[in-house]
This record gives sequence, C-alpha cells and structure tokens, in this order.
Amino acid sequence: MNALLEVSGLRKSYAGVHALDGVSFAVAAGSITGLIGPNGSGKSTAIDCISGFQKLDAGKVALAGHDITGRPAHHIARAGLMRTFQTVRVYERLSLRDNLAIANQQFDAATWVDEFFRTRRYRAAVETSEGRARELVELIGLQRYWEAETGILSYGQKKLVALAAALMPSPKIVVLDEPVAGVNPSRIREIETALCELNRAGETFLIVEHNVEFITNLCHQVIVLDQGRKLAEGTSAEIHTDPRVLEAYLGMTPEMAEAEMRGAA
Amino acid sequence: MTIDAVYLVQLTLNGIALGLLYALIAVGLSLIFGVMEIINFAHGELLMLGAFAMAFALPVTGLLYWPALAAAIIAVMLVGLAMYEVLLAKLRPDEFERSILITLGLSIILIHLMQYLFTATPRLVDTQYGFDGVDIGSIRITWTRVIGAGAALLAFAGLYLVLRRTQFGRAMRAIAQNREAALMVGIRPRVVARNAVVLAAGLCGLAGAAIAPIQLVTPYMGQFLIFKAFALVIIGGLGNIPGAIVAAIGLGLVESWIGGFFEIAWQEAAVFVIMIAVLFVRPDGLFKRGGMRVG
Amino acid sequence: MKLVAAPLASIIAALLLAALPLLTTSNYIIGIGISALIFTVAAAALNLIYGFTGLLSFAQLGFWGIGGYTTALTVVTFGGNFWWGLVWAALINAAIALVVGYPTLRTNRHAFVIVTLTFALLATLIARDWVELTRGPLGIPNLPPPQAFGHRFATTGQFYWIAWAFSVAMLGLLYALCSSRIGRTLIAIKQNEPLVRAQGIAPMPYKLAAFAISAAITGAAGGVYCFHLGIIDPLFLDFYYMQTFLIIVIIGGAGSFWGVIVSGIALSALPEVLRFSADLRMIIYGLILVVAMFVMPSGVAGWLREKKLAEMRDQLRGALR
Repeated sequence: MNALLEVSGLRKSYAGVHALDGVSFAVAAGSITGLIGPNGSGKSTAIDCISGFQKLDAGKVALAGHDITGRPAHHIARAGLMRTFQTVRVYERLSLRDNLAIANQQFDAATWVDEFFRTRRYRAAVETSEGRARELVELIGLQRYWEAETGILSYGQKKLVALAAALMPSPKIVVLDEPVAGVNPSRIREIETALCELNRAGETFLIVEHNVEFITNLCHQVIVLDQGRKLAEGTSAEIHTDPRVLEAYLGMTPEMAEAEMRGAA
Repeated sequence: MTIDAVYLVQLTLNGIALGLLYALIAVGLSLIFGVMEIINFAHGELLMLGAFAMAFALPVTGLLYWPALAAAIIAVMLVGLAMYEVLLAKLRPDEFERSILITLGLSIILIHLMQYLFTATPRLVDTQYGFDGVDIGSIRITWTRVIGAGAALLAFAGLYLVLRRTQFGRAMRAIAQNREAALMVGIRPRVVARNAVVLAAGLCGLAGAAIAPIQLVTPYMGQFLIFKAFALVIIGGLGNIPGAIVAAIGLGLVESWIGGFFEIAWQEAAVFVIMIAVLFVRPDGLFKRGGMRVG
Repeated sequence: MKLVAAPLASIIAALLLAALPLLTTSNYIIGIGISALIFTVAAAALNLIYGFTGLLSFAQLGFWGIGGYTTALTVVTFGGNFWWGLVWAALINAAIALVVGYPTLRTNRHAFVIVTLTFALLATLIARDWVELTRGPLGIPNLPPPQAFGHRFATTGQFYWIAWAFSVAMLGLLYALCSSRIGRTLIAIKQNEPLVRAQGIAPMPYKLAAFAISAAITGAAGGVYCFHLGIIDPLFLDFYYMQTFLIIVIIGGAGSFWGVIVSGIALSALPEVLRFSADLRMIIYGLILVVAMFVMPSGVAGWLREKKLAEMRDQLRGALR
C-alpha cells in the first residue's frame, strides 16, 4: 500500500480517561478510508490530534512521508491535510464565493504586495481560484447561491460548502468529520456521489462517520476503533463479518449481518 | 529605615480590611461571570449606590448602623434585580461584547444620574459609632472599619454555606461548570442567573455601605475600585471565587505596605502591573478556572 | 460582506468637506469639522480591531493619549516638528501594541478586554503621575501651530486642512486594508477562528497586525487633535473619548467601513447639539449605548444589511417553489 497518511501509537488522555490508547493505522493514497466506532471510541479525538487541533501525549503522524506530529493546525493544513468539522463550520456572514476564496488564499502564490499593486501574478491567482471554485460549486449543485451569504443555507447545504472549501486547494488528503450527520437522506446520496467522483479524479479521503450504510457504500478500507484502541481493519465486507466488530459496535450476530449485506447489495 | 512593629501591624490590619473590601467586589464579579459568562461593567456603580443608600438611610435611622446597613443592602439587591430583568435576562452566553457595552452604558447612566441629582460633592457619612474605636498601642482602629471587615467575613461565610449546602448554590456551581449538562438536568439558567446577580449586588451593597462611613461618598467612587476588581478577577482566574478572595486580600496587603512606605502613585499602579505579569506567565490566572470552585 | 463602495461619491464628499473653511468663517463650526474628521479616523481604527477582527479593545484610549503626548513632547521637549511628532506617535504606539498584544491575544477574549481597559487606565495614571515627563495634571499648554515649508498653520481654518488631509490619508489606508484579502481574513477570524486555522491561515499575525495598525492610526489621530486643542493634559485620556469612538462604531455598525464613517461625521455634531448639561449629555450617551444594543446591535449598516439579506433569502427560497 502506498500510505499517504500514517499514524502510529497515538495516545491521548484527559481527566484520567484514555481517549486514545495506542492507535495505529494507515490511509492508502487514492482510497476512501472509513474510521468508525461507537461513541467514545476516540474517532473525533484522533482526527483532532491528526489535524493539529489537539496535542498528542504520544505517537507519530506522517503525511506523505513527512512528520507532522504536534505541528499547529495551520501548518498541517498547508502541508496538504484539509479537514471538516463535526458541527459544520462555514463563514456564515460571507458569500459562498468568499468562503471558497478564503479557503484557497493560503495556497496561491500572491502576497499582499501583489494584491496592492494588482500584479499579473495576483490576477492570475484570483482567476484560477475562482475557476476552481465555480467547478466545485457546480459539483455540489449550489450555483444559485454563489453570491448569497452561506448563513441562509440549510445544514446539509452548509456541509456541502464545507466539503467544497476543503477541496479548494486540491489537498493531498481530505479528512471529513461526520460529513452526513444531521443531513437528510436525499442529500446524503448527493454527497456520496460527489465523493465518488472526486475520488475517481484522484482525491484521497478519510471519513469519520456513524452512518454505517454510508461507509459501506463508499469506503474501500474501514478502520474500527473501540475505547481508544484499534479493534479491526479491512474492507467493508470483512468488517461486517468480523465478530469482534459485530459485538462491540454493530450489535449484530453474523447471520443478521449477512442479511443486512444481502439487503444492501 | 527602622521599621516600627506597631506601624507594620497597623498597615497589615489595614491591608486585610482593604483586601476584604476588594474581595466583596471581586467575588460578586466572579459569581456573575461564572454563571453568565459576562463581565458586569456596572458593578462599581452597585457599590456606589450602596454607599449612597447608606448615606441616606443613616439619618433616617437616627445614625443606627445595622438597620441602615440592612436597608442599603436590600436597596442594592433590588437594583440588581431590576438590572437583571431589564437588561441582562435576554443575553445569551456568547454575547460577551454586547453585555460589556450594555453594562457600560448602564454604568455611565448611573454615574451621571447620581451626579446630576446629588452633585459630585463628596459626602461625609456619620454613624452611631462616630470615630470611636479600639486602641492598639498608639493607633486607633475605628469600629466602623472593624464592623465592616467583620460583616465582610460573615458574608463570605454565608456565601460558602450557600454555594456548598443549598440547592441554589449547587445549581450555580453546576451552571458555571457545564452549562449544557446543567440545562439537561433541569436547572433553569434564568432563575440561577437572576439569583446570582442579586446576590452579587448584595455583596456590592454591603461593600458600599461599609465603606460609606470610612471614605467620602462620591458618584465616581465605584470607578476607582472596579478596575482593580477586574484585575483581581483575572489574576484569580475568571469564575474562581476562592482565587478572587486570595488575590483581593493579597492586593490589600500589598497596597497597604507599599502605601505605607512609598508614594501613593505606585500603589495605584501595583495591581495592574501584577495583573499583566500574571498574564504573561499564566494566561488563565494564578488559580485554574474550575467552574467556580468553592473550596 | 459587501462594502457599499461608491468611489465617485466618496471623492465628491471628500472635496466638499475640504471646502468647509471656504464656506464659513466661524471657528466654532470649523472646530466641529476638525473634531468630526479626527474622531471618525479614531473610530475607523477601532472598527478595524473591533468591527472587523472582533476584539473589543479599550486600549484605543491609551493609544490616543500616548499619541497625543508623544507628538506634543516631540515638539515641546525634544525640539522636533509636528510631522515627525505624528510619525513617532504612530511608531511608538504600534510598538506598544505589539508588546502588549502578543501575550494578551493568546489569552481568551475576556482577558483581552480587561487588559486593554487596564492599559488605558495605566496610561492615564502615567500621564498624571510621571510628572518629570508629562508635567502631570498641569499638562503641556501652548502647543505651537504646525509648520511646513516656512508656512505656519496658525488659524483654525488652516489647521482644518491638515486634519482633512490626515483623515483622507488614514481613511484611504484603512479602506485599502479593509477591502483587501487581509480585511477579508480578519472578518473570517472574527466569524470562525478554528475554520481559519483549518484552512492554513495563522490567526495571530493578523490579529497583531490589526491591533498595531489601529494603535498607530489612533495615536497619530491623538497627535493631530491635541495640537488642535493647543494643550494636552491628563484629561485628554478621559473615558469620554473612548465612549465617543465606541458609540460611533456601534451606531454606524461594527464591521461596516462606510457605516462608521457616516456615523462619525454625523455624530460628531451631537455633543454640540447636546450642550445643555455635561451630565445629561453623558446620560444620553449611556442610553444610546444601551438602547442600541437592544434595538440595533449591528448599527444602522447592520440593520440595512439584514433587510437586504431577508430579501435575498425570500427570493432564493421563493424560486424553489
């Protein structure tokens, strides 16, 4: 496997609780990898630690071979790891266009000097950025809201905006924190399709989710966490039949899981 | 410079009395912050109103200290209640700047209203105790100071009991620690917040009423004290009541000692310099914010 | 956030304002004009740190006072000229802002407000008590009129043009800043700082820059104003000025560039209208603050924006059906 993101030995505790107790896994380049687990298993903590929003007690995180352990969040983003948040974050009082422009700001070559003198470099950067933004907006189907304040959008639409923003700088990997939590079912299909398309175009995803069907449909590889440790790892089919996972998480017996899989196929 | 032991004792006692006064103000601020996450810029004016109430009540009670004190405290608690219901009730916890500006506006209104109605002429307040006091060696400590300090101590003891032993107190601590969890358990934030404001107002009223016989009463008196109270709350850690008390008494002692040996100017600057130093070293204050720890 | 920019209209307005001394000979009115211009600049600087970046800074009062004293002392004590005095006012305040800002901006919002308030207070204390430098409560009277190329700007009317040129320059600078990517980033930081970090942008340099720039501009404004008054003393640091800047920003709309400018020009006439009693005037200020917080927390500009937004929302939702 060509591992794009590799984490090893992640440890994090607070108030005596081991949120992460020696977690190691790898995300293959070009894959859609799922990270699932019951509440309290450490998924969100893992994401926060990997993306620099919380400090690890121990462990290493490497992105494309470079060590990014313990770096501040903005460094990690610049290194090529973009993430979204469980409770959706967008700039509510800015337009969709501005939201996407800011997401790309750090990644183009123009400086404030360029902007002040409106140099060719600045104008080229703005054009490229805007072009990419329009592409992404079309992908998520929100063209009519281009100039509108994102605050007026629905929760599910905002999640799409957050996704588009994370994709603006064409990062090496996009980490999605519960991208479909609180989103209505019709919209979930849209998001699935968008993610598939993006992945076919070469983007790597690590998705944290509770929605098992969503993960099953999308992910090549699934990692299961439980109580701060890695419980299992494999394809969706393998996870569905792994007795440890079934017991801890899915709460099913192998027969029930088989029926479920047949139903979904 | 030979240090006179008696002088030092006087400075120390003075410092403790001053510190208790600061503590009354700072604790009220901390209380309100812990429950509502807002900083009450009108807090000093509550103290000022307490002092004025005392100044007006004393002649009515024939210079009897205790009834006037009680009347003053109740008056300020009523003002606190009105302040909460009219201005603060609708504030959400994340509207920090808005709360500052509202209470700032109130502070401006109160100061200038009092000045307009009663002029800025400082008032001397007399009580039944006059200037009698207890003599230690060659120094005299007036009864008004002793009683003031004593009342403050009683108030803190009472506050401790309330926060530890009563349902209302527990509710306040719950909200300060984890607002969402408290809501889920059925604690009504509006009621708790209102009670916290009224309680804090009472502490301020007590402080103001206790100072009235000791200092001159002017509309601006709250302003001088409130900035120090802000600094104390930061030093002690926002929402940390014991922290505020410790910081307050510490400051009272420091100021008293400095004032006794150096110029007054440095006395004033002391607290701010300490605050900035503390923030450099420990951004959360000297004592950790434990969601209103009580002991 | 759309800045309602009408470049032509603003140029015309600026030229009209420049003409004031030609339209009247009343020093009183011209004096109001100078106040209007300078207070608007200070309010616009407050808007940068509070309206755009979301940090309520009471330190502006301290910068205003330090700027005034720096300019005055440069001329009176150190034998420099007015223009260099302004430069020093800007530089020294920017440096102070960086030193004070660095530890303070790392703490939370609550501490920031209190520390900036404390800073302003300390500045007042120093102005009053460091008598060797500031001459204490007596202040520094008889500040000489500024000179340039041998010409003395001795009359109020002539000083007005200095104030006008200064204001146009500062407001132009602020406009360039606020409508640039940097301004947009500040707005983003105010709205959602974690998201900004997740997008690869470090918030601290931006906050520090905004704080330092607003400090420099406010300091220079203080320098200009004290020469208009002709005297500087500790009263220059009276909280009244902070309240004025704050009210201008709030009524105009925190975060709205043009709203604050219009509000600044309009409200500067207010103290004159409310001349009857100092106390009543302050009570009205206080009432304005409180009422504005309830009725129009985002100021006039914010209120207008809400209306436009509601329209847009209806349009988009309506078109779906």
